[in-house]
Amino acid sequence: MPFVQPVSVCRMKPLTCVVTTALLLGAVGSVWAQKPHYPTGPTPPRQAAAHTAPARPTAARPAPVRAAEPQLNAEARLIGVYRLIGQGKSRQALAEAQTLVRDHPNFQLAQLIYGDLLSSQMRPLRALGDAPDHIANAAAPMLAELREESALRLKALRERPPAGTVPSQLVALSPRNKHVIAVDASRARLYLFENTPQTGLKLVADYYISVGKSGIEKAAEGDLRTPLGVYFITSALNRSSLKDFYGAGALPINYPNPYDTIRGKTGSGIWLHGTPPNQFSRAPKATDGCVVLANPDLERLMRTVEVRSTPVVIAPSLQWVNPAVLKTQRTAFEQTLGAWQAARVSGNLAKVVSFYTSDFSSQGKNFDQWLPSLEREVNAVAGRQSQTKDLSVLHWKDIAETMVVTFAELPANARTAPTRRQYWIKVHGQWKIFYEGIV
Amino acid sequence: MNHAHTPTRRRLPGIFRLAALAAGLTFGLAHADEYSDVNQLLRSGKLVEASAKADQYLAGKPRDPQMRFLKGVIQSESGKPTEAISTFTKLTEDFPELPEPYNNLAVLYAGQSQFDKARTALEMAIRTNPSYATAHENLGDVYAKLASQAYSKALQLDGSNTAVQPKLALIRDLFATPAAKGGKAPTPVAAAPAVETPPAATAQAPRTVAATPLPGAAETPAPAGNAAATTEVESAVRAWAAAWAAKDMTAYLAAYSPNFAVPAGQSRKAWEADRRARIVGKARISVKLDNLVVTTNGNNATAKFRQEYKADALELTNGKTLTLVKAGDRWQIVREVSGN
Repeated sequence: MPFVQPVSVCRMKPLTCVVTTALLLGAVGSVWAQKPHYPTGPTPPRQAAAHTAPARPTAARPAPVRAAEPQLNAEARLIGVYRLIGQGKSRQALAEAQTLVRDHPNFQLAQLIYGDLLSSQMRPLRALGDAPDHIANAAAPMLAELREESALRLKALRERPPAGTVPSQLVALSPRNKHVIAVDASRARLYLFENTPQTGLKLVADYYISVGKSGIEKAAEGDLRTPLGVYFITSALNRSSLKDFYGAGALPINYPNPYDTIRGKTGSGIWLHGTPPNQFSRAPKATDGCVVLANPDLERLMRTVEVRSTPVVIAPSLQWVNPAVLKTQRTAFEQTLGAWQAARVSGNLAKVVSFYTSDFSSQGKNFDQWLPSLEREVNAVAGRQSQTKDLSVLHWKDIAETMVVTFAELPANARTAPTRRQYWIKVHGQWKIFYEGIV
Repeated sequence: MNHAHTPTRRRLPGIFRLAALAAGLTFGLAHADEYSDVNQLLRSGKLVEASAKADQYLAGKPRDPQMRFLKGVIQSESGKPTEAISTFTKLTEDFPELPEPYNNLAVLYAGQSQFDKARTALEMAIRTNPSYATAHENLGDVYAKLASQAYSKALQLDGSNTAVQPKLALIRDLFATPAAKGGKAPTPVAAAPAVETPPAATAQAPRTVAATPLPGAAETPAPAGNAAATTEVESAVRAWAAAWAAKDMTAYLAAYSPNFAVPAGQSRKAWEADRRARIVGKARISVKLDNLVVTTNGNNATAKFRQEYKADALELTNGKTLTLVKAGDRWQIVREVSGN
């Protein structure tokens, strides 16, 4: 069991643990395409989980089929209403808002704007959400939240990622990472990327999200905060297996990850999930630590992303960088990884050991307990060249600098190999491994 | 769909429609007795008789707009909103240029909490007659109600239980029955053209005549001797506006003479109740009078002005003419007519 399964924060029993072994694709050469394209349409529905599928590397995946341009989503329609208001077309804005709330009566922000547009037919508005005092006073905190939601949605739409850039954490992706999710808490936004060998990383959608009531940087169980870091989707829970509260479904992530664990972070059950029936979306800070999306948006994620191989980066704010910058970082880190591999092939155990931190752990064992198996492994691989397949490198920097490195090490003449995941940390300028496991 | 038939009839040249209306008006005058009979039955609450008389009349003149309108009012008063809605809807189809049926449709929809439909109907009424004060005021109330519903949904408040239903004014009469003289009706008040509800066509004629005596027609204007009276009337009018704005119902209603011509089809009591609901229900009211021109003639006076009315969210500016009569040492309103 590679990672701790989420249990309690969302108060739902998760599906049974996903045990995986030996997943490997035979495709040659990792692809880090340099030419991201910008959204043209949605990705086709995809099976969310393939837990038990034996990995036949040659199994041909159907080529992605482009669907038609998506129907305007509720947020786009709301922004359309804002735009009309900005152009002084209040009658048209009123008509659009009326159909929007008819289609999504539980979209509170849309109702608020609709109320404003109706009021503006009779009097000038003083502020967004200019409800009569007796109404505004009865729900002042919620009114403030809706104003905040409005501001955040607009901010995310005004401040678009520069074309061609990607989040700085995504140093290298493997062809197995068909999608990547990146959350920017400062913009209350989730960005969904598609990763194909042909086009590389491509932003395909982005959605408004809610985080913990107390904000971000989860440290302890019950602190009502959303964790920050590099995670992976561990399972997919359908609507039918969940309470209404979780809406269209849930995608649990592997909080606490090994980096969280060595830092003593506690808590569990951090999910991406949907909204309850009475709310189209929730306030920017509303959850017990989960990341919450509107149901249509969550449904799209559920249809799109694959369990286990989809990274989820949750950052206080994303840095968008040119892929060329990341290529340099990747090349540098590949050298580090190459040095580790060379040490093993050389059979020099002391040299290999120097790549590990003293507080290293692997699946429940500390370094001393694990050392014998490292020794066996070094003896086994000594003198044998191997090939690194499907390398992904995800960078995370806070008070320390870490890399989450996933790859398969394919010995010469072997057809399959387990997928390893290592957590590296920079100690006094040296990259060292503090956790290793099989995915 | 019978859509195919009716529009062709309705869309016969505009002239036809106008002519038909004009004929209706002529008949309206000729048949004033029948209208006022039905009206009186209506006012005295004899709804079954009123309905029977209206049906009898309509058997001979099924298209007659005024009687159909009265029938709609009778149906509303009889607690048959579905029938009334049907009657007024057909009137809007046959006479799309009349704002009153739209207004009354809106009142009925609002009564069923169908505020979106009420809004649409009132917007039609205003499109038909932009200076239609009642529809403006009703629309203000409907917007406020819809906005409050939307805000309540936005803030997840249970708006349905506590919210006050807007009090919308039903128009009682389509073409104003020719102004009856005060005291003619069995009730202490006269049937007269609408107050604050300028009906579309005919009411304008008496109003203008009453309001502005032709130059030279007044034989004894005696401006010098009237200066005091003019000042009295002015201050009476301003006191009336102040009482209205202050929501001082006692002073406000006392500004109206016992002989005040309440809107046709209403009793004084019902009218007072309407006014009270309209005024007391508002959080704040402001009434500003501009260009006040007072003409006096003995114990009679008219005051013409532009009235800028603000009540909560609603703002409405229109012309108004008050007719006042001096009783003892007080000038009291006997007629109130809005218009441009």
